[in-house]
Amino acid sequence: MEQFIYYLKVSFKGIKRAPLPYALTIFILSVGLGVFFANATFYYQLNSDPLPHKSDKLFFPMALMAPYECNDCKPPSVLSYSNIEKLSQTDIASKAAAMYSADGYLRQSAEQAPLPVSIRITQRDFFSMFDVPILHGSIWPDNSARAEVILTKASAEKLFGRADVVGEKLLLDDRHVTVSAVLDSWQMLPRLYDANNRNHLGDADDIYLPLESGYDMNYLSNSQSQTFDDTDYRQLSTQGRSGAMHQLQYWVQLDTPAQQQAYRQFMHNLVQDEKAAGRHPSEPNNQLVAMRDIVHYFGGESSDIKAFALVTLLFLLVCLFNASHLSLNRYLSNQYEFSLRRALGASRAQLQLQMLADVLLMALFTILGALLTGYAGIKLMNQLLPSNRLFSSWDMPLLLSLLAIAFACSYLVTLYPSLRASFGSLNQQLKE
Amino acid sequence: MITLTNLSKIFRTELIETHALREVNLQVNEGEFAALTGPSGSGKSTLLNILGTLESFDSGDYLLDGKSVKGLSDAALSKLRNEKIGFIFQSFNLIKDFSIYDNIELPLRYRGLKASARKQRIEQALELVGLHARRDYLPGQLSGGQQQRVAIARAIAGQPRILLADEPTGNLDSLMARQVMELLEQINQQGCTILMVTHDPDQARRAGRNIQIIDGQLHDATMYDPLAAQSA
Ligand SMILES: Nc1ncnc2c1ncn2[C@@H]1O[C@H](COP(=O)(O)OP(=O)(O)O)[C@@H](O)[C@H]1O
Ligand SMILES: [Mg+2]
Repeated sequence: MEQFIYYLKVSFKGIKRAPLPYALTIFILSVGLGVFFANATFYYQLNSDPLPHKSDKLFFPMALMAPYECNDCKPPSVLSYSNIEKLSQTDIASKAAAMYSADGYLRQSAEQAPLPVSIRITQRDFFSMFDVPILHGSIWPDNSARAEVILTKASAEKLFGRADVVGEKLLLDDRHVTVSAVLDSWQMLPRLYDANNRNHLGDADDIYLPLESGYDMNYLSNSQSQTFDDTDYRQLSTQGRSGAMHQLQYWVQLDTPAQQQAYRQFMHNLVQDEKAAGRHPSEPNNQLVAMRDIVHYFGGESSDIKAFALVTLLFLLVCLFNASHLSLNRYLSNQYEFSLRRALGASRAQLQLQMLADVLLMALFTILGALLTGYAGIKLMNQLLPSNRLFSSWDMPLLLSLLAIAFACSYLVTLYPSLRASFGSLNQQLKE
Repeated sequence: MITLTNLSKIFRTELIETHALREVNLQVNEGEFAALTGPSGSGKSTLLNILGTLESFDSGDYLLDGKSVKGLSDAALSKLRNEKIGFIFQSFNLIKDFSIYDNIELPLRYRGLKASARKQRIEQALELVGLHARRDYLPGQLSGGQQQRVAIARAIAGQPRILLADEPTGNLDSLMARQVMELLEQINQQGCTILMVTHDPDQARRAGRNIQIIDGQLHDATMYDPLAAQSA
């Protein structure tokens, strides 16, 4: 230990001999790594799997069932109420939930100013499928209409100043509703269940309402809807369930390959029946997309981030190259000292310990610099691309791998130059 | 304690081969003080570096204390260098931003001695070269003669049995050179074997033995070579 402190002291002396080139080396490495860190953060977070234990068991089924000729058509990325009725006429799936989102206003009494809220209108399995934690109360016992809302902890605190508000009454667009449950703080990043609307990078909704009540209350989707007739769907309560209004997302949980195969077969039969009944003239095109592949299926990958990733990687390489060049010059100007140490009896292993001390110091400075630059880079990216703002946090595994990368870079920048310096001809060096 | 047999060294670069040492035979006994003379480029430093195991050789053999150094690992060679051999260079080769004390400490560090043992040996060495009061100075604050004495202190602090000195007085004026010479003689009297490269005939005379190198070949003035005598 005492010896290692000595090595660190010697490293410090080496820095003091030529502080400017050293500072420049650190600066170049810090900037290269910082920019890389900032981008790697987004890249990692955006591509992370929020439900790794079941993202291959949750599926988004889509079937082309349209009453007109349409060849090579993809099935629509939203489903109609009647689609979902048909798709749920089976008990193959362990869980299933249809959903969409709408905008509304919430307040405690008519005298209060209304609070704008985003409503997820869905069914009871939503919460268990996506591992949503419940803080107070309980989820609706079935999928029927009920004037009950589930609040997030944040919206409960915003409305009531506390979280335990089960049983409290509220006005949702001036209709009476009761709070049946409050969710614990929860964030699914990315919110892959919203990937078909390309809303998966945004915040989760503020309150939850049963699907049937959403239709009864004429809530139209605030993101994507499609139709192929000219019915006026503003009267969703009367027209929405039977007509061609496509605005729903549908997720089913299929735990085993056998279940998945059975569900595919079920979809196939369903479309064949539609064909036989003359309601679907086109070639069948059924899709059962796993949550794991959903962003890719809907082309929702962030192309800016991908392009940035490549650029920052190249930039890092350039920085590494420059930093090693600087470092090489630094070591070569100290080369005689390596030879001297060899002459005085230092083994290569002992010289390498000295290099390790150099690496440690450089890694320390570089990591500090890179974290600062990376942090500033993330702040800047959040200004430039605010839609990715939720994906800018550092978690432990990410931070550790970033630190490992910084260490590896310091090692590379130090190793080659110092090895070269330590293998110089002793005879030549010591003569000056 | 040192035996070289038919030792040759060739430096190869892309353009030329330099035969720095040709078929060198040499025997140095414990306690000798040998002066190595010869024109510039004749191979003196190369010979010293090979003796100090800093440089490899192409053919022949080098026995140190009866054991060949050929095929020894880097760790073994370093240990040997560290424990048995001390180096003194023409240009002192002190580390400029290390104090006198820290410079002398270097070889002891690599030997893995405890702090107290290091301190004792450094103080002894400083005492011998008469620079005890300057232990916290930087090399640049000392005269050339003093710096070379520090280098000598560094070389002997590890109590080596062989001291290899490459033109140790080459950069010094005659007064300082004399002091350094006296110091080396004193060290030799304590039993340390010394090989010293020098250009100074007076110094060469003062050494117990004179070895001349010309063009990579040895001419040992103290060793009578009957073949050479016949042809002369
Ligand atoms: N590392 C080396 N590479 C190539 N040639 C060398 C090297 N070191 C020494 N030489 C050559 O070997 C010969 C002997 O050099 P050296 O032992 O330094 O001579 P001296 O010390 O007697 O002046 C010279 O011709 C020199 O140019
Ligand atoms: Mg020489």
